[in-house]
Amino acid sequence: MSEYILELKGITKIFPGVKALNNVQFQLLPGEVHALMGENGAGKSTFIKVITGVHKAEEGEMFLDGQKVDFKGPKDAQEAGIAAVYQHPTSYPHLTVAENIFMGHEIVKNHMIQWNAMYAEANKLLENLDADFDARAEMGTLSVAQQQMVEIAKAMSTNARIIILDEPTASLTRSESEKLYRLVDHLKEDGVSIIFISHRFEDMYRLASRVTVFRDSQYIGTYPVDGITNEDLIKAMVGREITTMYPKPEVEIGREMLRVEHLSRAGYFKDVSFSVRAGEILGMTGLVGAGRTEVVEAVCGITHAEEGKVYLEDEELHIRKPADAMQKGIILLPEDRQKEGLIMSWGLGRNVTLPTMGKYAKHGLNDNKKEREISRDLLESVDTKAVDIFQPASSLSGGNQQKVVVAKALGQEMKVVIMDEPTKGVDVGAKAEMYAIMGELAKQGYAIILISSEMPEILGMANRIVVMCNGRKTGELMRDEATQEIILDLSMEKAGRKGAD
Amino acid sequence: MEKKSLWKRITGSREALLALILILLFIIVTGFNSSFLTPSSLQQLIKNNAVTMVMALGMLCVMLVGGIDISIMSTLALSGMAIGMLLKYDYISGTIVPFIIAIAIGIVCGFLVGLVISRADVPPIIATMGFMYIYRAMGYLISNGGEWASASALGSFSDFATTKFLGLNCVIWIVIVCYVFFYWFMKWTRTGRKIYAVGSNPEAADVSGINVKNIKLLVFTIMGLLSGLGGALQVGIYASAMPNMQKGGEMDVIAACVIGGVSMSGGRGTVIGALLGSLILATIVKALPLVGIGSLAQNTFKGVLILVVVVVNIILQRISDRNALKGREM
Amino acid sequence: MAGKSGRSINNVPENPVKKMIFSWEGILVLLLIAINIFCSIFSEFYNLSSLLRQMPVYLAEVFLMLGMAFILVMGEIDISVGSIVCLSATLACLVSNAGVPFPAVFLIALLVGTCCGIVNALILTNFQELPPMIVTLSTQIIFRGIAEIVLGSGGSVSVTNTDGFRAIAGKVGQVPYILFLVLILAVIFAVILGKSTFGRSVYAIGTNRLTAYYSGINVQRVRFIIYTVMGTLCGLCAMFLISNSYGANTTTGENFEMDAIAMAVFGGIMSTGGKGNIAGGVISAIIIVCLRVGLGQRNVNAQVILLIIGLLLICTVGLPNLIKNARQSLKKS
Repeated sequence: MSEYILELKGITKIFPGVKALNNVQFQLLPGEVHALMGENGAGKSTFIKVITGVHKAEEGEMFLDGQKVDFKGPKDAQEAGIAAVYQHPTSYPHLTVAENIFMGHEIVKNHMIQWNAMYAEANKLLENLDADFDARAEMGTLSVAQQQMVEIAKAMSTNARIIILDEPTASLTRSESEKLYRLVDHLKEDGVSIIFISHRFEDMYRLASRVTVFRDSQYIGTYPVDGITNEDLIKAMVGREITTMYPKPEVEIGREMLRVEHLSRAGYFKDVSFSVRAGEILGMTGLVGAGRTEVVEAVCGITHAEEGKVYLEDEELHIRKPADAMQKGIILLPEDRQKEGLIMSWGLGRNVTLPTMGKYAKHGLNDNKKEREISRDLLESVDTKAVDIFQPASSLSGGNQQKVVVAKALGQEMKVVIMDEPTKGVDVGAKAEMYAIMGELAKQGYAIILISSEMPEILGMANRIVVMCNGRKTGELMRDEATQEIILDLSMEKAGRKGAD
Repeated sequence: MEKKSLWKRITGSREALLALILILLFIIVTGFNSSFLTPSSLQQLIKNNAVTMVMALGMLCVMLVGGIDISIMSTLALSGMAIGMLLKYDYISGTIVPFIIAIAIGIVCGFLVGLVISRADVPPIIATMGFMYIYRAMGYLISNGGEWASASALGSFSDFATTKFLGLNCVIWIVIVCYVFFYWFMKWTRTGRKIYAVGSNPEAADVSGINVKNIKLLVFTIMGLLSGLGGALQVGIYASAMPNMQKGGEMDVIAACVIGGVSMSGGRGTVIGALLGSLILATIVKALPLVGIGSLAQNTFKGVLILVVVVVNIILQRISDRNALKGREM
Repeated sequence: MAGKSGRSINNVPENPVKKMIFSWEGILVLLLIAINIFCSIFSEFYNLSSLLRQMPVYLAEVFLMLGMAFILVMGEIDISVGSIVCLSATLACLVSNAGVPFPAVFLIALLVGTCCGIVNALILTNFQELPPMIVTLSTQIIFRGIAEIVLGSGGSVSVTNTDGFRAIAGKVGQVPYILFLVLILAVIFAVILGKSTFGRSVYAIGTNRLTAYYSGINVQRVRFIIYTVMGTLCGLCAMFLISNSYGANTTTGENFEMDAIAMAVFGGIMSTGGKGNIAGGVISAIIIVCLRVGLGQRNVNAQVILLIIGLLLICTVGLPNLIKNARQSLKKS
């Protein structure tokens, strides 16, 4: 009999073109809260999906209570007592809370679903979790925090012995997080083992007894939480000293390019003002859901603000759609490369020239030769690792895809480049290259807005930092006055208020 | 607290709103024609729309998983024509056997449609468009190129449509049985709830171990079954079978569902909604001549009605989204 | 900012000839030859001159395929086209009978079609959440419904002054005008879809709408133009239909949407968007036209032809997916 309730050895998972997990291992003790940490793209989510049977690993073994197991699908994992609460709740928005909890293991008698019993049981579970909503409520009407609670109730309803929480606090306010902490304590007392994935050190210190770190799809180590410092962890996660990562060049800051005044959009952000100068990198940070992306989307015409003004070089802009913004020289490089940034099945060349193809067309017809030359030059200028311009974007690694996205912005005269999480899911080497490109662009006089949740990145690259929380700008810091602690405080500042409703 | 939630549930529920509209319609139509609200007239209304009402149940299932089926009236014609010809040439007789044959043909047709959609990943609109022509053509072919089966050829088959059982026409009994069964099936069985789950979030359904492909196959087979039943009903009620029967009738079925609050993108819709939707449509169509809209304009009116309902839905959705956002505290 | 590594990326395309032979269009050409051989064996009357004589009826639908190709490449669908044809044809007949000169009748038919297209376009671009299928399904009933109202209880109308219609049904030698028009329009549409920036944006929208939008493509304007032009093409189709039947009735243009979609899909234009080209659509359209002429010469029931087209539609979409799925499951096990 093994001392571990769950043990994984030598797990390797390969996706087309990438090794998402490379010979990783993991041990979970009964009744412990075990934090799993690592940068975006380190392979944590894939690892979770291997445990829950969603993905099947190419190599490696998994032991449950010392017994070797082989899950064919999510159902097997469920039956073995493993439940996962994913980052984005995987719920049925049109159905009631009770149905969401009991989907797949409804209370059935004589082939009839026992609704009353299900509602009663669900309410009992929710009461245990100290929830403030009824089991008859429609799932889609709940807040993300409430939906997460339903997911946890669902895990409990299956009598799970191992519960995996994938970044549960990412979209929660401070008071909601506090509630979740208590919930995890509660589960621990009941003897449930918990794997907890989070970016927040705070979560880890508060909850976990041990922490395992992944980096670049590999297992780095498992450490007891007592006695580990932030620096040790960051070093384990990033793999090198932070200072060498961020080659921030000394750039003469030019005149003001973009100025945003009192921008508001109901339900997303309120009264946001900031400006950015030529050659400057403005960092925008805050928790997920703080409204950063929504603000820049409104600036670029992807959505529309209800109030407020946007000026480019002191001229007021009236932007209705992204095409207008590009016309004026503002481009947004979106966060989601696969859905918003690139056409994955298209060749690199066509992707790069998509925003600018009208510029060198003759009488509306494409000039293929010129297009090929321009796209090659652009791709080479950002040092894309590609064989030719015809290979599909999907054949590149995440970092190189991101370079192609950047290349899209360089095909025309741009003044302001907005990058939304440009290093999300990118390996460390490519990250450094991204930062180098960013520095180059700043040198050339572009005004850059960098949206990022990664503290070291913001601290390392930005000249000025705007912090947002819950739709409002809560602070603006100069490079030399910013620290992790100040930023974290600002990004949680008004968080307490939301929990009231 | 309890009282408020009950009141909220009534005003917030789509079905309650539809029932209110139906009652209002009844009152208005009775104002024009006092004989409308008599039991016999209402029975007639249901009998005349029995085919649409029954098939709306199948369309409900199909639309719940985000699909659509425009081949249903061709399936109806094929199965109806098949029993019509079999009766005409005296291969079969009676009532039960033709019903079973029609339903069996419907199931096979629906199963094929479901296979093509679930296993070959053909978009439902393309697949059912193809089958619409294939089944209609097969209906023509088995009718020897356009023969009819008239009342006399059908023998005693269509008698059920004029007989009463416990004071109600048999056709109405069939409709009632179908609705009761489906109310139970969709609300109280795991399979019924799986249909909702697949429509609400197919990826999540897949993760929680529901076989999405089989559910899709199932709903199109159910649709086929009800189309076959519709074929037998159609032949019985109108005491004739012809290869072009109910051509374009799929629009009525879709309209009934859309009016009844079934979402085009899946996940939302109820059996009660389908019932109220088809009754509202039937009442409106019956009322049109009373307010001076001739039968020629009926199709236009139906089209406009569907369009208005879907557009108003979108506008209401936008307003409620906006209000929800405004309510968010910052 | 030159690449630091000095890595160079190839930008010379492969030899296009090799690609062409092994493409779907190449297979279609072979199929076209096979169909012609089959038809000439099946029907003793089938030859070039009988084909040219009988094809105009069927060629009118090819106009619709051209517009439908754009809509399908965009990943959408328009099933109201048959009804737009019906409404344009009806109104064209009526104004012609009212003594309006033929060129004006022609313009009116195009205008009616265009207006119907604009109705679709306005609804679809203003309510982007609505699936095109349900919108065009309801306008399908509405447009035909209006034609039914206009035609009244008789349900049909014949043109009294057929001169103009006879003129457009004319020929150069044995080749009918409509064939020239179809080919000219096909070339124009092929260039727009295949070579122009507009066409490129249609493919971008059909492959990844969000990326297209973020990259500065005016998605709604492209959709508006395409649905409007689809309407105009319906008007054109209506005129050539009248030039053949000298009248219109409530069933004019029925099933045309399926024919147009089948031609396009059979030509390799995926209904899921982003794939295919006009050349494939035109070759497959000609295959279907030849098949119809050949089968029609032996009085094969029109329903049988519909059945064949329906099967063709489902098989061309379904078979490749089926093979792909089978391959994947083989790989897994």
